[in-house]
Amino acid sequence: MPYNPETTVIQGLARVIRERRLPPQAIPRMSQMLVGAHIEAVTQVLEGDVLRDYRIIDVADYFNLPRATADQVAELIETREGQRVQFGGILARRSRGRRTRTLISPVDGLVIKVENGRIYIQVNERVLEVMAKIPADVEEVESHRVRLIGQGAVLQCAWGNGKFNYSVYKYLPDEGFVGLSKLDPRISEYRNVALISTQPINKGDLLVAQQHEASAVVAPAMPSDLREFAMGLTFPVLLTEGFGQRRPTALIYRLLADNIGRQASFDAAVPDRWSWERPEIVIPLPAGGLPPTPTLDQALTVGAMVRITRAPWEGVVGQVVEIPTTPQVVDSGLRVPSAKIRLSNERVGLVPLANLELLG
Amino acid sequence: MSTENINSILVADLGNVHTRLVLIDLVEGQYRLIASARARTTAEPPLGKVALGLEHAVQSLTNLIGREILSRDGENLFITPESGGHGIDMFLATGSAGRPMRVFMVGLTSEVSIPSGQRVLAGSYITLTDMLSPDDFRSEEEQINAILSGEPDMILIVGGTDNGADDILLELVHKVARALSLIRHGVMPSVLFAGNKTLRPQVKALLEEYTNVFFAKNVRTSYEEESVLPAQVELAVMYDEYRTKSPGGFAEVGRYSMVGVVPTTQGYISAMRYLNELPQKGIGPLCIDVGSANSTILGGAHKELHYIIRTDLGVGHNAVNALNAVQYENVTRWLPFDITADALRDYMHNKQLRPTAVPGSTEDLMIEQALAREIVRMMFNQAREAWDLGEGELLPNFQPIIAAGAILTEAQHPGVSAMLLLDALQPTGLVELRLDPHNLISSLGVVAYLKPVATVQAMETGGLISLGTAFCPLGHVRQGRDAMVVQIKQQGAATINHTVRGGEIWMAPLLPGLMVDVTVKLRHGLRIDGKRRIKRRVITGAAGLIFDARGRPLVLPRPKDRAMRYLDWQMAMMGRERRVKAADVSAAEEEPLPDLESLVPELDDIQGRR
Repeated sequence: MPYNPETTVIQGLARVIRERRLPPQAIPRMSQMLVGAHIEAVTQVLEGDVLRDYRIIDVADYFNLPRATADQVAELIETREGQRVQFGGILARRSRGRRTRTLISPVDGLVIKVENGRIYIQVNERVLEVMAKIPADVEEVESHRVRLIGQGAVLQCAWGNGKFNYSVYKYLPDEGFVGLSKLDPRISEYRNVALISTQPINKGDLLVAQQHEASAVVAPAMPSDLREFAMGLTFPVLLTEGFGQRRPTALIYRLLADNIGRQASFDAAVPDRWSWERPEIVIPLPAGGLPPTPTLDQALTVGAMVRITRAPWEGVVGQVVEIPTTPQVVDSGLRVPSAKIRLSNERVGLVPLANLELLG
Repeated sequence: MSTENINSILVADLGNVHTRLVLIDLVEGQYRLIASARARTTAEPPLGKVALGLEHAVQSLTNLIGREILSRDGENLFITPESGGHGIDMFLATGSAGRPMRVFMVGLTSEVSIPSGQRVLAGSYITLTDMLSPDDFRSEEEQINAILSGEPDMILIVGGTDNGADDILLELVHKVARALSLIRHGVMPSVLFAGNKTLRPQVKALLEEYTNVFFAKNVRTSYEEESVLPAQVELAVMYDEYRTKSPGGFAEVGRYSMVGVVPTTQGYISAMRYLNELPQKGIGPLCIDVGSANSTILGGAHKELHYIIRTDLGVGHNAVNALNAVQYENVTRWLPFDITADALRDYMHNKQLRPTAVPGSTEDLMIEQALAREIVRMMFNQAREAWDLGEGELLPNFQPIIAAGAILTEAQHPGVSAMLLLDALQPTGLVELRLDPHNLISSLGVVAYLKPVATVQAMETGGLISLGTAFCPLGHVRQGRDAMVVQIKQQGAATINHTVRGGEIWMAPLLPGLMVDVTVKLRHGLRIDGKRRIKRRVITGAAGLIFDARGRPLVLPRPKDRAMRYLDWQMAMMGRERRVKAADVSAAEEEPLPDLESLVPELDDIQGRR
C-alpha cells in the first residue's frame, strides 16, 4: 500500500525556490524588482500598506452646519477618494483668511469615500516590507508576489517567533547559555551572532541571548509557555523540534556545524497551516551545477531516510528497512500501518508511518 | 442528471488529517459498502492540493480490491462509468478540511431571530466574527468596523416574520451596505438573507451593487415557526463556493463531485435525519465525531434533530484550544500517571505542530484519549443545554451511540473505544454502541441527495462497526462488592456466569454477531430501566458485551488509586486478564454461581445489615 509521508526538508545542498507575498488585504506599492536580478537576503522585494479600521468624519457636524445641504458641505471638502492623507493634513476648510477653520485628518490613511458630507478614511496600520530572506535570483515579479531561486543548505524547523535575520552563527560554549552568561556581553565573541544550542532552552537563556544582542537563537525546544515571551523578542528564535524537552535532530546540528563561519538566513516564520512559509534556516552555498529541488510528495520506500517525529525515538533519523503490508501493533498499543526503521545504533524499531517524515 | 443507472458510488471525505474513501456498489440487488481506504490529506502547503491525497487514497483502494478507478486519459480523474469491473458511476465528496468560513451575523432580535441564525450556522464549519442587532449601542463607526474588521467571508442576515414589520431590519441592511461600500481590498463577503421575504427586492437593490446576494426561506416565517434547513442548504452551497476559492485546491475535487464538496456535517445531518426516522429504542440516535480540528455532535431527540459543531475543539490541529477549553484538571483526572500542567501544554503544542502523528507510547495515547473524553463531555454538556435535555450529569436514553473520528474509532481495542464513550457520556441502562471508522455516515448522507435507496441499503447492510450492548446500571456502587451478576446463554456454547464487582467494568469475551440471552441481577441500589433484574436477547459486537459496574454518575477513583484502577479497566476492556485480580476471576468462573433468583434477597440482606 503506497504511503506518502510529510516532508521536512533537511538537505546539505538544494535548490531553494521561495515565493514572497504580501497579504491579500495589503495595498502594494510600486516594486523596483527586475526579473533576472540577483538580490541579497536583506533586499526588500515587496512593500505594501496594511489598512485596518475605518474612520467616519462628518464635515457638517464638525463645522456645526446642521442645515447645510450635501452640496454645500461638499464644497468645503478638500480631499477626494483614493487620496492618501497624513495625520494633521487638511481634509476640509470653511471660510478664508483669518476666520478660516480647518478640519484635519486624525490619522494616516487612505480616503475611501466622500459622500453626503462625510469622509471615510481607512487607517494606515503599518507599512509592510517583505524581504527576500535568501540571496537569490528574481524569477517572477507581480504586485503581490515575487518568486526567487537560490541554493544552499535547507534546514526546516518546527516553530519560529515571526522574526528574521541574516547573520553568521556560532555554537554556544560547552556550558551553553550558563557559560555565555559569564562573559562580558560588550566584548564577547558571541555578541551579534546567531547562537546555536543543542539543548532545550528556557527563559533565562533567552534573556542571556538578549544581553548579547544575539542575531538569532536556534535550539531543539523550549517550554511552550515561553511562546508569547519569544514572540516579543526582536531576534528570531527557531525551534528545530518543538516544545518541552525534545531530543535534537542530529542531522540538523551536523549540517550547521559543517557550515560554521558562513552567513545564514534565520527565517523564524510562525507556523500557520495555510501559509506557504515555514520556519527555516537557509545557508547559502556555492554550487558547481544545478542542485536538486527537494521533492515534497513521494511515496515511502525501503531504503529511504526518514526522521521519526514521536516518542520513543523522536528526532532520530533512520533508514526504512521494511514496510509490512498489514498494520502492526506498535509501542502505544495501537495497530497501525508501520515501517521498520534502522536506527543509528543499528537497532531496528517499528514506527507508525504517520510518525515518519521524509527529508526532502 | 438521472441517477437511475448508478450502481457504484465513490465518496471521499476530505478531513483535516485523512482523506477517507468509501466505495458503495450494488451486490445481489443491494447497495453495500465494498471497501474503504484512506490517505493523508494534502490540502495544506507545501502541497496545497487536496486532489493529490485523494489520488493516493484511490490508489490504495485499487491496491486493496484490484479495481482500477483512476483514469489515465489526463482529462478525468476517474474512470466513469463503471465498465468491466473497473471505474465508478458516481463520485461525491464531503469535506471538513480547510479554514472555517468567517461569518458576521445580523439579526433583528436577540431572543428569536439571532438564536435561529445561530442554529443555521450550527450546521457548517464557521467562525462567528461578530453580530449586529437593533439593540447594539455602538457608534456607527464602531458598527462598521465590527462588520469589517473580522474580515468575514459571509454575512448572514435574519429577522422579521414574513409580511411583518420591516423598517428596523432594513436599517440594519443599510448599515451592511454602507460597510460593504467601503471595501477596496481583500475579500468581499457574500450575503445570505434568510429574513422577512417581503424585503428581498430592497435587500437585493441595496447589496447587489457590492456583492453576491443569496436568498433562503425566512428562518422565522412566523413567530412560532422556525425553519432553518433551507438556509442551511443555501449556506452549504455558499460554503462550497467559499472553499473552492480557498487555498487547498478544493475546486478541482469539487468539479469531479456531482454535488461539489459538501460540508461533512451536512452529510451527517442528512444521514441522521434518516436514522432519526427509524423505529427507535430510545429517544433517538446520538453521533459524535471528534476530529483533528473540528468536533461535531448530532442527536435525534424524539424525532427532532439537533447538532453542534465546534471548529475550535479537536485532538490535533486544535489540541491547544481544546486543552484550554476543557482545562488541565479535567484531562489529568483520566490519567493513571502524573503530568504537570506545563508538560501537558507542551504535549498539546507539539501535537498541534504535527497533528497527523499518532501517539508513540501508551502514555501519549492515554493523554490524547483523555482529551477526547473531555471534548465529548464538553460537547454533550453544551448540547444538553442547547437541546433542552434537562439537567444532571447523565445521558438521556440515546440509541444507538455512534462514534467517529480516529481518536474514538481506532483505539487499541474496540473495547477501549467503547470505554471512552462510556466514560465521556455516562449512558445508563442498555445502550448500543457503534463505530464509524470510515466516516460512512456523512458519506451516505450525501449519497442520499441523489440516490436515497443506496443510503438506506448501505446503512442497513452494516457499514458501521457494532461494539455491542453496554449494560450500565444507574446508582452508586460499593467498591469491590458484587454489583452485577451476569448470565450469558448462547446457543451451542457453555453458559457464561460472571459477577462484576462495584467499580469494575467487564467485557464479556464473545465473538461478534452472536445472538445471546443475557440475564443481569443487580445489587440493591442499582437499577436498569428501574429494575433490579433484567433479561434481554442481544447481539454481540466487536467488544462482545459490556457490563459497566462503575456506577452512575461515574465516580472516578481517588488519585492514589487511579493508576491501578485505570489499568484494570483498560485491561478488562482489551479482553486481558487483570493483573491483581486474575485469581479471583478464575475462581469465580470455576465455581458454579448460585441461582440468580436466590441472589437478590441475599444482596438485599447484605444491604439491610449495613
